[in-house]
Amino acid sequence: MKNILDRNQNKANEVRSLLKSKKVVMVNLISSPGAGKTTLLERTLEEIGSKFRIGIIEGDITTDRDARRLQKFNVPIVVINTEGGCHLDSHSISKVLPSFNLDDLDVLFVENVGNLICPSQFDLGETFKLAVVSTTEGDDKPGKYPMLFREARAVLLNKTDIPYTNFKLESFKTDLRNINASVPLFEISCTKSDGLKGWFDWIEGQIFNE
Amino acid sequence: MHELKVAEDLSVIVLEAAKNGKLGKVSKVNILFGQLIQIVPDIFEFAFRECVRETVAENAEIDIEIIPVKMKCRGCGKDFRVMENRFVCEYCGSTDLEIISGKELFIKSIEGE
Repeated sequence: MKNILDRNQNKANEVRSLLKSKKVVMVNLISSPGAGKTTLLERTLEEIGSKFRIGIIEGDITTDRDARRLQKFNVPIVVINTEGGCHLDSHSISKVLPSFNLDDLDVLFVENVGNLICPSQFDLGETFKLAVVSTTEGDDKPGKYPMLFREARAVLLNKTDIPYTNFKLESFKTDLRNINASVPLFEISCTKSDGLKGWFDWIEGQIFNE
Repeated sequence: MHELKVAEDLSVIVLEAAKNGKLGKVSKVNILFGQLIQIVPDIFEFAFRECVRETVAENAEIDIEIIPVKMKCRGCGKDFRVMENRFVCEYCGSTDLEIISGKELFIKSIEGE
């Protein structure tokens, strides 16, 4: 029996061992469109940008809008436009890695294309995945997209400050715990900078420990 | 739409196997997909057809078997089938589980002549 995605997996393994040898932690951020990945990166760069050497890969179907928002932080950013593709894969990552000086990086954040299913099937060679979800999407997402919530090393629930939704936090937590009982959950608002302290401490700890 | 990328990679493997096996025609491709992969068979088949148009595999039948999610409990050692995405051991209630099936993306066999 042969794995259909062998080509992707082999390249992902190559990327993973290269990054390991260079001591670079790669974080694969996965969410639906508009959940707040870029705003999360903005807040995160403001807080930990002076403590670590950070690089960013922006995956977008088209445009470099997200990358432009992050330019002010003066960190190396590479855009991958998938031209319609709904996810990044390990080959696209491998192709852009030479644009970074890996000896000068501690962490590489990859903002995947906004989508909850496809990106979770393609190993990029990351150190770990993060799931970002927002209250406006509804509280039923973990049960609908179990693979992502099972494999993520942490889950960030964004837009907790928005009052006008029928999002029920307890239902969301029950749904999430059914899929992944022990995954850390951070309840945050990136626009109001609420609840971010726990996230900053956690991500700093992960980068140190790797 | 990860179906398209998976279909594309599958078509490369099928056509390569047909070439190596000197097949003039691929009649059937047998595939296993785990339930967690969330592949929609109709979309997948449509995508695969596009990838193999005007090749030796253009008329191949696609047989897709969906593998249910099974887990092994690290607490009590028993294994069980997961129903309704509830990843909790049905024997002892532990959530310390290992996925033993449900993530497959395999080609089982390729038939042809």
